[in-house]
Amino acid sequence: MRLQGNKQNGMGLVGTSLNMGSSSIFYNPGALSLMKDKLHFELGASGIMSNVDFQRAGSNENYQTDNPMSTPFYVYGAGKINDMIAVGVGVYTPYGSTSKWEDDWTGKLLIQNIALKAIFVQPTISFNFNEKFGIGAGFILAMGDVEINKALNYSGDANANLKGSTTSYGFNIGAFYKASEKLAFGVDYRSEIMMKMKDGDATFTVPTALQTTIPKDNKFDAELPLPANLDFSISYQATEQLLLAFELDWVMWGTYKSLDFTFKEQGALLNSTNPREYKDTFIPRIGAQYSLNDQFQLRAGMYYDQSPTNEKYFTPETVSLNTFAYTLGLSYSPIEKLSIDVSFLQLFGQTAEKEYTPSNFKGTYQTIVYIPGIGVSFKF
Amino acid sequence: MKIRYLFYLALLAFIVSCKPEVNEFTPSNGSADFKTYVALGNSLTAGYADGALYKSGQSYSWANILGQQLTTVGGQPFVQPVVTSEFGVLPGKRKLGFSVDCLGVTSLGPVLDNGELDPWSNHIDYTVNNLGVPGAKVAHLLAPGYGNAANLQAGLANPYFVKFAASPDISVVAQAMSMSPTFFSLWIGNNDVLGYATSGGAGDVITPTEQFGQYYNMLAQTLVTGGAKGVLANIPSITNAAFFTTIPSDVIDIPDSPEGQGYLAILNGEHGYAPYNAFMESKGLPYRITFSIGPNQMVIQDPAMASYGLPAQLQIRQMVEGELALLTLPQDSIKCATWGSAVPVPNQYILTQAEIDNINAATIAFNNIIKQTAVDNGLAFVDFNAIMVDISANGLIFDGITFSTKFVTGNLFSLDGIHLTPQGNAVVTNYFIDAINAQYTAQIPKVSVANYPPIVFP
Repeated sequence: MRLQGNKQNGMGLVGTSLNMGSSSIFYNPGALSLMKDKLHFELGASGIMSNVDFQRAGSNENYQTDNPMSTPFYVYGAGKINDMIAVGVGVYTPYGSTSKWEDDWTGKLLIQNIALKAIFVQPTISFNFNEKFGIGAGFILAMGDVEINKALNYSGDANANLKGSTTSYGFNIGAFYKASEKLAFGVDYRSEIMMKMKDGDATFTVPTALQTTIPKDNKFDAELPLPANLDFSISYQATEQLLLAFELDWVMWGTYKSLDFTFKEQGALLNSTNPREYKDTFIPRIGAQYSLNDQFQLRAGMYYDQSPTNEKYFTPETVSLNTFAYTLGLSYSPIEKLSIDVSFLQLFGQTAEKEYTPSNFKGTYQTIVYIPGIGVSFKF
Repeated sequence: MKIRYLFYLALLAFIVSCKPEVNEFTPSNGSADFKTYVALGNSLTAGYADGALYKSGQSYSWANILGQQLTTVGGQPFVQPVVTSEFGVLPGKRKLGFSVDCLGVTSLGPVLDNGELDPWSNHIDYTVNNLGVPGAKVAHLLAPGYGNAANLQAGLANPYFVKFAASPDISVVAQAMSMSPTFFSLWIGNNDVLGYATSGGAGDVITPTEQFGQYYNMLAQTLVTGGAKGVLANIPSITNAAFFTTIPSDVIDIPDSPEGQGYLAILNGEHGYAPYNAFMESKGLPYRITFSIGPNQMVIQDPAMASYGLPAQLQIRQMVEGELALLTLPQDSIKCATWGSAVPVPNQYILTQAEIDNINAATIAFNNIIKQTAVDNGLAFVDFNAIMVDISANGLIFDGITFSTKFVTGNLFSLDGIHLTPQGNAVVTNYFIDAINAQYTAQIPKVSVANYPPIVFP
């Protein structure tokens, strides 16, 4: 999720053509050297409250997730070294999700729960050629944790628990062009980060008689891609009060072909290839900001996020439906140096019948997600 | 400041507003009336599993699972003749356990699970909807006195029906009709071939087709007299069941060792099968028995060879590809008592090709009758024969569970190799539901296979 700044959150998550200060470290490093202030700090968090309802095909049995609230956060600090160069560092969490179904739900053999957490640390440098055009780049250090639980079809609550962590690298580059007082363009590319889990811990709970075949403690390798993003954005200051922004995010999910697990022991029995066959998606976003006075700014936006999943390989581990979202936001500056930013998003996953054919698991899903967020920013 | 409060109020309104709710399926009875459902059939309908009709196994009978689903479309509660013991009515229940074979090797497999039974003499006095009787053939459902204890001695009654018969001389079908069923299932006929098959063609006879047709039609005609609708199911391709496919016919493995070479010399020599081969050659008969290093076909008794005028001790031969050894074949006798090599395997543990042909021919004939009866009476129909052939060839996956006809690991067959696991029963229930929904444009909800237990491992 692109919840990396509470001002941008309120504007349909548009950010690449906005220059909101140090959060440009994430949205567009090219804009950082063009920020208005000498020093800028931001920190904030959101609470993702997601609910999934699933109804089995040909049945009136429904199952719901019991997802704990996940809390992406961000901290940015940036400063201008001179008129042309700015540096900064950001710590943020662009990927992170927890899907928790009941342990004995109907899809337990596919997934009981999965938790993915990734923290990105991104030192960044930005350079402008003139007051209009800036470029920037950041190096990303990504630290990730994954934990998966799924049931096994043996008696006595048999289960596999897979836990792995990884450190990977990537980069974030962007360019920002302020064509006029009113019009700005931005483009940003964040590289794919491949979360390679090596020697993760696998714990199998199986009946005693099977423990010679399926050892309790095992090690596994797996790879999970965090996709590359290429974002194009335009913003337009329509009136002194009203800022409009449009963005198209190209999310390169196409590299997520399958989720493969390789086990150190009993590989012939336990190794698995689980097709995903995702496709790239394009997310159109619009956002608006209205400055009521020096103290208050209101924001609103919306976007449509197409599911990257394949018709044949839709799994309940991450229920990704075609999603329409609207966003709201508000900033309040009690003093000039400080801004308190709140945002609220509501995501509607469109009801659709989906199937994971390798398991012959079929049903209809619907999701609704609420995401309130709060952040503060300081400038000097 | 007013605007701020309004904004918060709006936020709150959105947050409490809605949870996702999928409602794509509305149960409906279509053109059928499921108020009083009775299930007629044999052990499969009764919920027999692991070699016994026992409490928890019975609770997972497909008829019971279907009966529960029918309560969502107007069905009254489905009542089973509850067996109160986990060990069954008659001994023979199996569980997975460790046993030591004649060579001292410990392995995991089905072992007897003995305990206090709920004998047939504990009569059930309440009205039951599940009239499945283990062992029943098509004629038995029509037979008065099939539930009369006095007839047990003569073999004319069945202890399972004795246990719940409403009166001593009532027939199964008469007991069903006494409940004025609005809907019935009839899955009968398996035992008309299975009794022959599980005794290696030695202990039972296949019902003559004409008789089968006559009885089957009488049953169906009786059941529809009150205007009841129903579902018929045919006889699965029983030789695909794990009971017949688990022990390979070439199970005699002679190792490439001094001992193996020595044994080979004896088997193929003058004190082994050389005289047999010479005799067969002299008679112009094609039978030869030869052994070599590696896997070898078992030597078996084949009484059908009497037709060549051979004496009993020469009515033996090696099995050929496609012939089947039964799960009841004692493994220790193969491993330690030279069964299959020096000692021919008795006929009752083997299905010869001729016997398999008899079974297949009867199954096809009976299934034609069942299908025709369904068509003639506008009844729903489940083609389990085709389903089982398909599972045997391709397997089946539901909710991430892989089913095959393999013993124990295939998830479908319970520890007796013929009857179903709870998950297998759930799969079968869904096929019944598909057929009923299609015939009567009903919407009976299907069951989640993964919600049912797998085979229990120690």
